[in-house]
Amino acid sequence: MSDKTYYDLDLSQTITKNRLVGLWRMMKGYQWFYIGATTALAIATISRTGIYLVLRRFIDDIVIAGNFGQGMMVIILMFIGLALLQGSFTFVSGWLAAKTAEGITRRLRNFLFDHLQRLPFAYHAEAQTGDLVARATSDIDAINRFYSDQAIGIGRILLMFVVNFVALLQLNTRLALISVIAIPAIIAVSIYFFSRVSKAYEAYQEQEATLSSRIQENLTGVRVVKAFARQGYENYKFDQENWRKFKLGKQLLSIHSLFWPISDIICGAQMLSSFFIGAIMALNGEITVGTYMAFISLVIWIIWPMRNLGRLIVQTSTGMVSYKRVTELLQEERESLLEGDYTPTGDAMGEIIFQDVCFEYEQDNLVLNGVSFTCNPGDVIALLGSTGSGKTTLVNLLPRFYDPTSGLITLDSVDITSYPRKYLRSQIGIVEQEPFLFSRSIRENITYGVHREVSQEEIIQAAEFAAIHDVIMEFPKDYDTLVGERGVTLSGGQKQRVAIARALLKNPRILILDDSTSSVDTETEMHIRAALEHLMQTRTTFIIAHRIQSVMDADLILVFDKGEIVQKGTHKELMQTSGMYQDIFDIQTKIEVELEKEISSVNL
Amino acid sequence: MSTYEEFDEKDYGKLSTPILQRLLGLLKPHWRWVVGFLVCIALVSMIDAYTTYLSAQIIDDGILAGSREAIVRTIFIYGGVMLLQAGFAFGFIYLTGVLGERVRYDMRKSMFTHLQQLSLSYFSQTPVGWIMARLTSDTERLADLMTWGLLDVTWATINIGTAAVFMFIINPNLALIVLATLPIMIVVAFRFRIRILHHYRRSRKMNSKITGAFNEGITGVRVIKALAREDDNLKEFGELTDGMYEASYRAAWLSALFLPTVQVISAIGLGIVLWRGGMQVQVGIMTIGGIQAFVSYMTFIMWPIQDMARVYAQMQNAVASAERIFNLIDTEPDVKNRPRTVKTETIAGEIRFDNVHFHYEADDPVIKGLNFHVRQGEMVALVGPTGGGKTTIVNLLCRFYEPTQGTIYFNGVDYQDMKLQDIQSRIGMVLQTPHLFSGSIRENIRYGKLNATDEETEAAAKMAGAHDFIMQFEKGYEQDVGEGGNLLSVGQKQLISIARAILAQPELFIMDEATSSVDTLTEALIQRGMDRLMEGRTSFVIAHRLSTIKRADKIIVIEDGQMQEMGTHRELINQKGKYYNLYTRQFRQELEAQYDIFNQPEAAKA
Repeated sequence: MSDKTYYDLDLSQTITKNRLVGLWRMMKGYQWFYIGATTALAIATISRTGIYLVLRRFIDDIVIAGNFGQGMMVIILMFIGLALLQGSFTFVSGWLAAKTAEGITRRLRNFLFDHLQRLPFAYHAEAQTGDLVARATSDIDAINRFYSDQAIGIGRILLMFVVNFVALLQLNTRLALISVIAIPAIIAVSIYFFSRVSKAYEAYQEQEATLSSRIQENLTGVRVVKAFARQGYENYKFDQENWRKFKLGKQLLSIHSLFWPISDIICGAQMLSSFFIGAIMALNGEITVGTYMAFISLVIWIIWPMRNLGRLIVQTSTGMVSYKRVTELLQEERESLLEGDYTPTGDAMGEIIFQDVCFEYEQDNLVLNGVSFTCNPGDVIALLGSTGSGKTTLVNLLPRFYDPTSGLITLDSVDITSYPRKYLRSQIGIVEQEPFLFSRSIRENITYGVHREVSQEEIIQAAEFAAIHDVIMEFPKDYDTLVGERGVTLSGGQKQRVAIARALLKNPRILILDDSTSSVDTETEMHIRAALEHLMQTRTTFIIAHRIQSVMDADLILVFDKGEIVQKGTHKELMQTSGMYQDIFDIQTKIEVELEKEISSVNL
Repeated sequence: MSTYEEFDEKDYGKLSTPILQRLLGLLKPHWRWVVGFLVCIALVSMIDAYTTYLSAQIIDDGILAGSREAIVRTIFIYGGVMLLQAGFAFGFIYLTGVLGERVRYDMRKSMFTHLQQLSLSYFSQTPVGWIMARLTSDTERLADLMTWGLLDVTWATINIGTAAVFMFIINPNLALIVLATLPIMIVVAFRFRIRILHHYRRSRKMNSKITGAFNEGITGVRVIKALAREDDNLKEFGELTDGMYEASYRAAWLSALFLPTVQVISAIGLGIVLWRGGMQVQVGIMTIGGIQAFVSYMTFIMWPIQDMARVYAQMQNAVASAERIFNLIDTEPDVKNRPRTVKTETIAGEIRFDNVHFHYEADDPVIKGLNFHVRQGEMVALVGPTGGGKTTIVNLLCRFYEPTQGTIYFNGVDYQDMKLQDIQSRIGMVLQTPHLFSGSIRENIRYGKLNATDEETEAAAKMAGAHDFIMQFEKGYEQDVGEGGNLLSVGQKQLISIARAILAQPELFIMDEATSSVDTLTEALIQRGMDRLMEGRTSFVIAHRLSTIKRADKIIVIEDGQMQEMGTHRELINQKGKYYNLYTRQFRQELEAQYDIFNQPEAAKA
């Protein structure tokens, strides 16, 4: 691992009741940048207002006074200087705001990503993938917009108002007061309008989603559409949704096409009445022509930006909702990978003892009940039983995906809760029946989670042992072929063999195996069986077994029923006592007899 | 990491005459709307420039001339044109926006309609996501360019043009100075915009990678935890967010620099104007109102310039979108009717495969010389390992694909001489993973015969053995099946798709049996439903269950694109070849499942 930290702040500590305070705390480390951005913005705004005040001097003291000389040059240089000042500080403000917003967002993304992968198994078992992804992506985007656009945008409008209004007051108090009469109306109309727009927009977006899933359904069901020759009907169904989207878009546009002209008229009326009164005052000599000219420019900068305030305020409220959704995730407790006071320096031996272990997902619903057994290093333990009898739950306790509700599990005579999870998991390899593969190359999938450099020879060797090398070589880019929608789709059996190759490279002391080789042909099955046997050598192995062949050689067979071990022993021992195991074996024999009968009956 | 990059090889396109013509073709049916919004925006734009001129008049003719009457009159004119402008603003927003929606609607419609004509091979080679992007983001982008983009450019050009005219009226000399600064501002603005767009696109790409990483991090969390890969993952993810930070920071940084730069250039121009203009007031060829007007024109000239630059940048993108969209529309279906077709009343009868070959790519044959014939009413079981070519045979039979060599005959007629619709409307199909469409159960069954009455629909469901479980739903036949039918179990979906096929009364029936386990009762129902469907019909079954295979009139063992064995159950068992091995293995597995030794393997995952 490099020393680089991907987040320097525990964001779960920044959450408070007040969301604005929470958003401020989330900025830690960037707060000065943001203050800087605001200050720069204020300087830029003041500079622009200054430009108009200089213009006033230019008209009154130079042009009207007929005083063309050095004074004029000074004023023009002041004019350009202020423009430069305004430009530079506008840039500085935007730059600092971008630095802040992007920096905070990067930290938040990193933190949330890490947070999600460190939340306990129990959390992920309950959570909806789509919801988590939405919070991690679109909600974070909304928070990014809050920092980069909304907060600074509201600040800009308010600053413009304050600075220009103060300047107006300097020019003429009465004029200043007259010029802001309509502003409450403008803000009210704009908030009303944008909250309606955001509702209409939501409906429009929803229809967009409906339309997309219609297309998706059509594309994935293309064989059915063609088999029934239903192209015309599909067109008709699509057109309905398509037309509905057009209609909703039209509605949205109607609201827009009303708001902008109406707000134009309100702003225009305010502007014109200010112009009129100003002009009359100038005519009467109450203000100078220069003052009038500065005045009308400042009025424009006060009034028109106000129309956007509603948009920003409405968008901010959606940003707040996103913030809340993200903090809900941040509040969840992580499971530590490192906690635990016992970290052996070398590999584990692999002696595992269960003592009266019970487990429940919900209260009073025991999934494992008083499970006790001992397994020596290198033993093969077979777990038999019907679905829901507790086999999978039992193996989930070993890497501490879950901890027992009561009872004790020891590894090499030490309580496994004393081991850091990271150590335990580095000692355990899992081969699932149909493991999840990542949309990367086959090579990366095989070396995934093998924490060391692996040579190509080693990879090929592992793949050969796992009886997958030949399959891989048939893919377009052999080991570099991508898995998933962009590349090849692997069958369940092939995925399992990739996982076997991975386990071989990882070389763990303890192996958990879901032994199922359904839907492969006899030859491949033999290969897989050989690969598994190779894998099991010298390791403590837990097999979730589905057939008797893989159980017969086990050192200990545990027969499960409703969370309890009903029988345990070796094949030999269990065959001598009547019970579930014997029943199963009898059936197996019976099947062979029946098969023989069936084959010979063919010619009768 | 997987991305769409390989497919979206092009981000920028060059506007060529053929593309421009096709783009204009999209607007042609709605030319009245186009004229409407162009007129509205032109008037809005002219009024914008005119009101600045009015402001100058208030100063010159009103205040400085001491005419109260002139002030009142000008303010009234001002108010009048603003009201007019508001009206035109209403017009252009409504017209442009609605037209944009309409163009989107049209484009989606023509693409969707075209997609329905394309052959199966197109869909097996093109990712769904790629097609989706054409119908969504590309459509948006293109429609925006053709409506709002066109509007912005029109507004900007007319605005600058009108302002130039008024500036020339006020003072030709100074107007020339302003016009001299224009090209500089335009070049600077365009360059900025292209750079910004470049970084923005990079950030979008990073963003989709980040979404992908979140997706995998969450769905693959079990593997990640088991392999203790958290630290490596964070490191990889950190590289993505670093890339994202870099791209969006650059884009924001350039945006922050863009406007101030243009502003400063215009301020310098304005400084020169003030200096020269001030002098000219002295000699009486320039008025104070005139100076005011120039100040306004110069201050606000950056908006049209920035709009033009934005549209220019968007255009590069949108042209690439247009190319992709037209590419989709221009794709010819591989399988289509021949110029001359035979009239077909029925496809029932003998079916013959004569030396049929098939390949997607020339060096990789999928089917290698297949010969067999099937009599009317026979049931054919196709068996063999996955990837051996069973599904391709079925696709050839449905004429989703056509043989690359050899011929398939229906009743002695080459099926490529028949109309596609005549063949496909007479085929009933039940897929391994049945595909249902969102909507009610009734709608899904009716898919087999759109004008079926409720009685017919229910009769089909009863025959399929689906009626009983349907009636157990609160809403019965009106029960919603969810997206892709995911509110129903696999067995239920299969029963509904059998009912759908029964309702269609096909002449040829094709079934891909499910490998996944369903409960015994449903299994029996499915068997019975299939029996009813196959009665008197020719049928092909990709078979996985022994009971199905044993009943077949003909069993064909397919492996490696070739027919390995063919015959009845008895004949093939006696051969003791591939079928024999396959049968015995399957027999053990089925009995194990039947005796419920440890439940079916598939169910054990849960």
